[in-house]
Amino acid sequence: MLEVAQHALDAARGAGAQYADARFGADDTESMAVKNQEMEGVTRVTSSGLGVRALVDGYWGFAASARTDPHDVERTAHLAVAIARAASRLPMDPVRLSPLEPVTATWSTHVEEDPFAVPLSEKVALLMDASGRMQAVKGVTFGEASLDIWRRRTAFASTDGAAIEQTIVHCGGGIEATAVADGEMQQRSHPNSFRGNMRAAGYEHVRSLALADHAERVATQAVELLSAPDCPSMTTTLVLDPSQVALQVHESVGHPVELDRVLGMEEAYAGTSFLTIGDRGSLRYGSPLITIVADATVPGGLGTFGFDDEGVPAQRVPVITGGIFQNFISSRETAPVLGADARSTGAMRADGWHHLPLIRMTNINLEPREGTLEEIIGDTKDGVFMETNVSWSIDDKRVNFQFGCEAAWRVRDGRLAELYRNPNYTGITTEFWGSCDAVGGPEAWGMWGTPNCGKGQPGQGAHVGHGAAPARFRNVQVGVR
Amino acid sequence: MPEQIGRDAAAQIAQAALDLPGADAVEVLLYHEWGGLTRFANSSIHQSTSKEDTSVRIRAVREGRTGVAESNDLSEAGVREAARNAFDMAAVAVPDPLFPGLAPAATPESKDGYDEPTADVSPQGRAEAVAALVGEVGQGFRAAGAVETEAAEVALANTEGQFCYSTFTRASASTVVSGGRGGTGTAETAAPAFGSVDPAGVGRRAYAKARDSQDPADVAPGVYEVILEPLAVSTLVDFLAYIALNGRAIAEQRSALSGREGERVATEMVSLVDDPLSGESIGLPFDFEGTPKRALGMLEGGVFVTGVHDRRSAKQAGAVSTGHALPAPNPNGPFPLNMRLEPGTSTMDDMIGAVGHGLLVTRFHYSNVVQPMETILTGMTRDGTWLIENGRIAGPVKNLRFTQSILQALSGVEMVGRDLESVGEFTAGGTRVPALKISRFNFSGASDH
Repeated sequence: MLEVAQHALDAARGAGAQYADARFGADDTESMAVKNQEMEGVTRVTSSGLGVRALVDGYWGFAASARTDPHDVERTAHLAVAIARAASRLPMDPVRLSPLEPVTATWSTHVEEDPFAVPLSEKVALLMDASGRMQAVKGVTFGEASLDIWRRRTAFASTDGAAIEQTIVHCGGGIEATAVADGEMQQRSHPNSFRGNMRAAGYEHVRSLALADHAERVATQAVELLSAPDCPSMTTTLVLDPSQVALQVHESVGHPVELDRVLGMEEAYAGTSFLTIGDRGSLRYGSPLITIVADATVPGGLGTFGFDDEGVPAQRVPVITGGIFQNFISSRETAPVLGADARSTGAMRADGWHHLPLIRMTNINLEPREGTLEEIIGDTKDGVFMETNVSWSIDDKRVNFQFGCEAAWRVRDGRLAELYRNPNYTGITTEFWGSCDAVGGPEAWGMWGTPNCGKGQPGQGAHVGHGAAPARFRNVQVGVR
Repeated sequence: MPEQIGRDAAAQIAQAALDLPGADAVEVLLYHEWGGLTRFANSSIHQSTSKEDTSVRIRAVREGRTGVAESNDLSEAGVREAARNAFDMAAVAVPDPLFPGLAPAATPESKDGYDEPTADVSPQGRAEAVAALVGEVGQGFRAAGAVETEAAEVALANTEGQFCYSTFTRASASTVVSGGRGGTGTAETAAPAFGSVDPAGVGRRAYAKARDSQDPADVAPGVYEVILEPLAVSTLVDFLAYIALNGRAIAEQRSALSGREGERVATEMVSLVDDPLSGESIGLPFDFEGTPKRALGMLEGGVFVTGVHDRRSAKQAGAVSTGHALPAPNPNGPFPLNMRLEPGTSTMDDMIGAVGHGLLVTRFHYSNVVQPMETILTGMTRDGTWLIENGRIAGPVKNLRFTQSILQALSGVEMVGRDLESVGEFTAGGTRVPALKISRFNFSGASDH
């Protein structure tokens, strides 16, 4: 694979590129879903090809093709150079890349049990069992179960001299029970909604999810939600489960700290950020309990790797420390904006060989403090506990957000009381994080995968991770109508 | 421009999978796409890309069980391996009692949706279009956006004897212009041919909005009379298709429109059709199961007529496929890719003049479903929102969060614009909609910009 990438670099250099990098990639995915013990789909997809990025006189060009014989590789490289030359039609400060020591390396996700090697029949049996157990609960309309397995092999080379081969494996699964009656529909999921929880791991992760063991519980709760009252509209104390905290981190911390958004490079699509370059080291983002890192080195995260798609090594970067904003996540192109000595934080990731890398989250993790979910609830006199995301929305500068969850319970005198359906909450990013007065400890902390993060034009999806624990927020508006 | 595979070669590639030993039925979807996207920000071209890819997606059926495999290796050996993979996947599946069989042989209407110059636009051609767009932006403002040209050839073959082949092209220009004292505006357009896209016009419209939306004032959330421009209307229409017009959701009682055929669900000014064969429509004359497409009225005079179907949802509902299948397997069900909300007679000035106290909304941002059974969405306004007082624009306002039922909004439509725009939340310009004046629209929160 590296030979193909090296051949592309030779061609790009010969056509006039001052810098080029090339990625030969091969992706394999396997996914399956069962609904009411009927197959919703069992699919295997493979895709391979070459992407070449060329820098000519300070302008970028990128071309990709599935055709990878030598002549086609040269054609793709030459096209990348031609695209870079065309970009000079409009003036721009020439791109200057932050320094990087090139490396020759290999890296692979730690996998105990190859998920592709587990017999298909065993995987289907797991989903059928979970689906059947949900169906067995009276009142359940649909019992769905799914598995997703993903492997990306990449050979990266650059004209700086980097030569890196990586194999990254992600897998996960989930169950979802839906109850429909009298024009109302409610769902409950485990371990998370939208096909469960994915991690950088082997099939041992799927086994650890114990999908079938949770089937009866989620099915029962889905049915109970049908007759539950709507979450009342009020301003109250809000306790969130770790999976919802993970998405809250994703939307209101992960995206705003992407440096390309701050610099306007995503303005037309995903939007910008309320943060400015000068906010580093001074802006109060949250309460003193809030410490958040961008950590591409933590085991199991969907943003865990050896090197990003510019060949920058994985790093652990402080983003918010004790509530004070510290750092953006950046690329080799954007880092120099932060200072002459600034280096990329290693956050450039592409959605496969056919896309150019963009600044993407790695694992944006809320660091644990202390206590379990039960202890946080036990310490709450009056409030609402919400669990499992079902809806999300945030404005183009990442200020005003609204999230919906599958289920909520009233908290009265430290105990869970009545169940509410259709719960949601809204807030303003820094006010919300500033109102946090409890974050759970290591025993309540875990890695959550967000495998559907969209960004860029043409649109790219990314697998990103979030370490999160349960957390409590004061004076939050819930039950938005 | 890459060399096309062509109808005959596509049939030959497909045959390697159709010959799969042991299979009861096989379907082959071959997709070859190429094109470029020139992306700009801060009025410079910063990310410019080109891509060519192929895929062959094979659905194999054995004893009522189906498996799907896809590869971008179009060699005979690669296609055969993908077919075997699909066959292996089918072996572990359970039989689907609702499997309707593959599409029978039928000839789609001819559609001239392919424009050779669009398929062959150079990086320089896209860069010139970007320059024309950016050239319309005034001093102190900056443009971000994309100019894209793409082409595809698609073939669908199955062991029932169906074989369809078609080509299409698509071109688009879109931008957000911002600057001055907090001004921001947007515009976009899409068409089957690059020659029909006016990038300078897109830049002009977006700049005018940015210029006129400076110094936005605070505005209180609440229920307002609104005028939604086409971009904002496309969010409502596309989400309605996703959560309510989906024949599978309707059949499974998961749609707000389940069991409501023949019922009035919007004012009589609201008629929604999927019209894949019209000259303005981008795409194919057949769906991804090989069922020929045709025009389909979904809402007529405010009355719900029908949802859309693929072959499986049609069997569920006791209906026939309306030609809206997406590539298999598709647990989400069918989707209309070429919707048109029929135009009315009102100009924008007519609509503004008819508002006593309300808001003019350019577009929505990051919208999402809150309660599907009530078609309630939430999202933010973006890139130009104005207060209207006594029939006149009173001034720009900061962005608001809406939490609103789509069907309730459509039940409050009082005026329909006469001009259609090709925009779309999910359809990359495939949805054609006018502006709407709506009597009540709920804004539940506010932002700071």
